[in-house]
Amino acid sequence: MIRLACLLVLVALVIAVVLAVRPTGPNAILFSFVGMPSLAAGILLFGVKRWRDGALSWNRDST
Amino acid sequence: MRRMVGEGLVLVVTALARNGWSADGATPLFSWPPAHRGLDWLQILPIVVAIPAAAILLVGLVRGRLMPAAATAGILFLPVAAYGLGALLLMEDSKTVRFCGSCHIMTPIVASLSAEGDSLAAVHYRRGLVSHEEACFVCHSGYGIWGTVDAKMAGIRHMVRTATSDYKFPIEHRGPFDIDSCLTCHARSATFRAVGAHQDPDTQQALFKREMSCTGICHSAGHPDDALMGPAS
Repeated sequence: MIRLACLLVLVALVIAVVLAVRPTGPNAILFSFVGMPSLAAGILLFGVKRWRDGALSWNRDST
Repeated sequence: MRRMVGEGLVLVVTALARNGWSADGATPLFSWPPAHRGLDWLQILPIVVAIPAAAILLVGLVRGRLMPAAATAGILFLPVAAYGLGALLLMEDSKTVRFCGSCHIMTPIVASLSAEGDSLAAVHYRRGLVSHEEACFVCHSGYGIWGTVDAKMAGIRHMVRTATSDYKFPIEHRGPFDIDSCLTCHARSATFRAVGAHQDPDTQQALFKREMSCTGICHSAGHPDDALMGPAS
């Protein structure tokens, strides 16, 4: 799961770098409609992974 | 690895610096934007933030696990920062004529700006009455913060329509053109006020009620008809 999250965020980052180097309309479309969903999906997967690992639980033992 | 990243960064910075400083072969007086305007930080910062994030992500991709702090930085904070900076770059750069002309639908319209013709846009552009950098944005966005917001919303609509091929030729302006964009510059001009037709109260009322526009009856169209028909395929 962490590999998939890394891959999705990496794809999003490559698109962001492409936009930064060449800010054009087609790259803006890529940034908005491919990069942003890819980043959101990667972060969501990472959140799910962290949640399943118990990192987001409020009832952790303090010991 | 560290050396490769460093060299890559230097290459990118050099390329961006060259673009910023290039004079397009023109003499310094006639080149615009002016020479030595420096580095475009809005272009550089997303890359600077993306590089460490990409390094962390590559480690995660290869090893299949990451330390929680590194994962949070590499998957969450740095990419979100890179995207925030990228969005800021997009907001600023989408004001430029070059950006508008980069989509094939708009290419003929942008080309018509510098071509010979009597369309209002071409006349304003050739005479330097609007910024050559941001001519599209100057005329097609209203004034004030809501004008900018409306222009950005229109930009998002344009992107959706372009991505889904949901457009037809000839391109038409959505709703009536906001003549405040014209009047903000012209209304206080002595030559504008001296024109008899502009002094007529009925014409003024019709203009303010948006029953009449500057183009059509009195002035030529904003853009030539053939440019609105899209690129010749």
